[in-house]
Amino acid sequence: MKRLFIIGLFLSMVVAVFTTSIFSYQTSKEGANVVEQSNGILLPQEAGVFERFYSSTHYAEMPMSDDSGRNLDDYYANRAYYGAPPYIPHEVVDEISIGADNCLKCHKNGGWVPKFEAYAPVVPHPEKTSCRQCHVTNKSEGVFKVNEFQGARAPQLSITALPGSPPAIPHALFMRENCLSCHAGPSTPSEIRVSHPERVNCRQCHAHNETSVSINNVFARDGYQVDQ
Amino acid sequence: MIFNELSNRRTFLRRMAKLSAMAAATAMFPGIMFPNEQLAAIPNGSIDWKKAPCRFCGVGCGVLVGIQQGKAVAVKGDPKSSVNKGLCCVKGYHSIMALYGADRLTKPLVKENGKYVEKTMDEALQLIAEKMKETIKDYGKDSVSIYGSGQWTIPDGYVASKLFKGCIGTNNVEANARLCMASAVTGFMSSFGIDEPMGCYEDIDHANVFVLWGNNMAEMHPVLFSRLLDQRMNRGSKIVDFATRTTRTSTAADKSIMFKPQTDLAVANSICYEIVNNGWVNERFIENHCNFSKGLTNIGYGMEDKYSFQDKPEMIDFDTYKEFLKDYSPEKVEKISGVSARDIKYMASLYGDPNVKVMSLWCMGANQHTRGTWINNLIYNIHLLTGKISSPGNSPFSLTGQPSACGTVREVGTLTHKLPHGVVMNEEHRKEAAKIWDVPINNIDPKPSYHTVEMFRALDRGEIRFMWIQVTNPMVTMPKLKRYRDAAKKEGRFIVVSDIYPTPTTDIADVILPSACWIEREGMYGNSERRTQYFEQMIEPPGQAISDTWQIVEVARRMGFGKQFAYKKETHIEEIYNEYRRFHDNKKHNMAPLEVLKSQPGAMWPYVDGKSTKWRFNAAYDPACTQGEFDFYGKPDHRAVIWQRPYEQAAEEPDADYPFWLNTGRVIEHWHTGSMTRRIPVLHKAMPQAYVELNPEDAMKMGIQNGDPVKLTSRRGDIILPASINERGMPVRGQVFVPFFDEGMLINEITLDAFCPISKQPDYKKCAVKITKA
Repeated sequence: MKRLFIIGLFLSMVVAVFTTSIFSYQTSKEGANVVEQSNGILLPQEAGVFERFYSSTHYAEMPMSDDSGRNLDDYYANRAYYGAPPYIPHEVVDEISIGADNCLKCHKNGGWVPKFEAYAPVVPHPEKTSCRQCHVTNKSEGVFKVNEFQGARAPQLSITALPGSPPAIPHALFMRENCLSCHAGPSTPSEIRVSHPERVNCRQCHAHNETSVSINNVFARDGYQVDQ
Repeated sequence: MIFNELSNRRTFLRRMAKLSAMAAATAMFPGIMFPNEQLAAIPNGSIDWKKAPCRFCGVGCGVLVGIQQGKAVAVKGDPKSSVNKGLCCVKGYHSIMALYGADRLTKPLVKENGKYVEKTMDEALQLIAEKMKETIKDYGKDSVSIYGSGQWTIPDGYVASKLFKGCIGTNNVEANARLCMASAVTGFMSSFGIDEPMGCYEDIDHANVFVLWGNNMAEMHPVLFSRLLDQRMNRGSKIVDFATRTTRTSTAADKSIMFKPQTDLAVANSICYEIVNNGWVNERFIENHCNFSKGLTNIGYGMEDKYSFQDKPEMIDFDTYKEFLKDYSPEKVEKISGVSARDIKYMASLYGDPNVKVMSLWCMGANQHTRGTWINNLIYNIHLLTGKISSPGNSPFSLTGQPSACGTVREVGTLTHKLPHGVVMNEEHRKEAAKIWDVPINNIDPKPSYHTVEMFRALDRGEIRFMWIQVTNPMVTMPKLKRYRDAAKKEGRFIVVSDIYPTPTTDIADVILPSACWIEREGMYGNSERRTQYFEQMIEPPGQAISDTWQIVEVARRMGFGKQFAYKKETHIEEIYNEYRRFHDNKKHNMAPLEVLKSQPGAMWPYVDGKSTKWRFNAAYDPACTQGEFDFYGKPDHRAVIWQRPYEQAAEEPDADYPFWLNTGRVIEHWHTGSMTRRIPVLHKAMPQAYVELNPEDAMKMGIQNGDPVKLTSRRGDIILPASINERGMPVRGQVFVPFFDEGMLINEITLDAFCPISKQPDYKKCAVKITKA
């Protein structure tokens, strides 16, 4: 009996060795289980919302004049239409660069630029480093041929549903998720400068209301008839 | 102001009073409106956003075009598009402005006694049809031709092929894509037996290393390049720039390696040498999925008229191939290419490391090459030897330059030897085409006629008497331009040009037809990753302009082919697309139904069982695979081919008389010949004119300063351009670069019409010039 037990035990061990080795051989033939790092940004719509929160209290304390050297008309003047990427209104030294190391020196955090006597606007999407992909310089005056394009125009400011209620966000949020970069700080045109930059969770109160977005298949509950 | 307004008590009260009055009024008189008050609060009035693929390059970004009161007023990237994920480039963002140049062609113009006279569209189309019939009667069917474009929509190219190949019976159908991706096609055909990339843009999200072969992606494929940069930032992927000129891409790359023009052939072979010698070959992959072949060598450059060449492939074995590679050790290649043996070994080690996923990307650098087919083959060799192909992140990826170079020219087959499915030489393919086109099979000529360069030579010689040019500008883009411009101006040649603006090509036209552009009509484009994308008509074309498709349909009907062109005006695009789909009704190439294309930002063929195929030839993703893990089903034996292709010199190399290489290309602001982008003020102001880029040391030696006029002379002629030193790019010593967009400074006057004997694609990147201070 004891001998049988030992033989049995031995046999089962042999079987176990076989199965384990076969199993491990089979699994080794599968591709290595490499965990893919995340490709891209989680929740792109929300990325960068709090990007500049560390500056917010400074912005709140900064004394700022209404004259930032740039008003909203200037702001729109170097765009072909509302929402178009602005061209670069100043000369650039390094034509060959994609921009990452150059443009961001001034445009990542802003600040006073004596050469242009202006505050550098802060880019809302510093993670996109090929700046010159969308932003081009303006090297010459005059056009090749006259162009009759009339672009989309900016919405009126101060769209509030109720008197005193927080205004809605009228523009697309793509690459403009970080509100503070354009709505706070000294380079901001005073018309769109927020009075309370320390409240960094902007979309807590300001709803995204870009009415120009056409949404397909909006859910609508069927109405019902009430018998009279 | 927003906040100040509310903090100001008086304004607040005034506003409050106004709103309460309005509220009260609305309550008392239901339906009462305060239009000014209410409309003012709605931004943009009402903009209707409609999806389309971008008009410009082959990347095929999804864009949303804002339409307001019948005009295109804004553009944004389509966040739903997997191509660009919401981002565009400066051309894309301003693309709609190209529709509104004040000098748009709006009326047909016919040249009468040396002057253009306005005609109605009906008169012009009638004249074209009669002229074609007359020319065919006098000189035979091979005296008429059509020269189209990779900017043709799928229906444009389809009806052109049907009319010329099916109805008239001539293979004189070519497209400018011959100048841009013919070598990519022959590369695919010789290595895999079926055209277009096996991978897709999603490879970018998986690859660890990107090797760019002579490809200034930062300017030419900027949206994809941003995806590369994103991956580098998020996952630490590496970018290796392998080029002949320091560009924006080089400044962004982790490593930039410069080689002497034409020696990419030697370096690619040297990389293979390293892979073989270090035991990095994926033996199992080679054994199961690859063959080795060699073709003819010393194959010439096609510079003489009526040059013809047919490669003779011959199977070899791995050992013979290994023996061949012995001439390409890094130390030997260092001497030819100017690339250090260390850099060659570095590149080889990236390809050779089994834990690294590599994506190779290339475009015109490899394709516009007198050995374009070879260099395409050689890059595939590297990926095949290491088995790094057809799986996520492992991808040799041939990029294209035009929005539908793939969709129209390659898939519809608007090249002299092609049919929508297969080639004219194949009887089965002719039978199928004749059946779908409803023409007698004898109509389709089994012999290819002229490729692009030869077509213009035939125009010069007088074999071709009639040419219809659509959506392209050959009088800027043809190499050795003067000969072909003179040819077109010769007596007894009749040229029809369909375009949207006056260009150097409309200057040589006998009839100019105004075309509807992009979103002014309905159509589809096919991009580099096999993605077919649909766009609806969003705005009205100006004046009498109509789509290129409808121009051809109308002419065909007037020539007596009403039966084959019985499409209804309202639904013709849908009818044509459905007819075209019948050609690709198989698992290897099925196209998505139109409803699918309308509902989403495109679909990738083969579209099987309601799904796009991301990685072809890989059984895990591609339903057309029937054998094993990988199945290169383009070839009869289901094996991809590793080609033995040597390094051979360029057609014209610098010598004592003409000591500089001339390289030509593009810039980010302008698209091709600039007929659209130069009319967009933002882009024109950023890049107003062409220039010649010099190496700073060369310039200093010749006493040339930035902006100085410089005279470039080649054996074909000369041209004066302002010097550009240390600006957009920097060629290596002994080389100059000139962009070709500027019709005021036509660099192609002095380029060479040498081409790859296999693909017949000209080499715009290499010829010899001398430089003097003008």
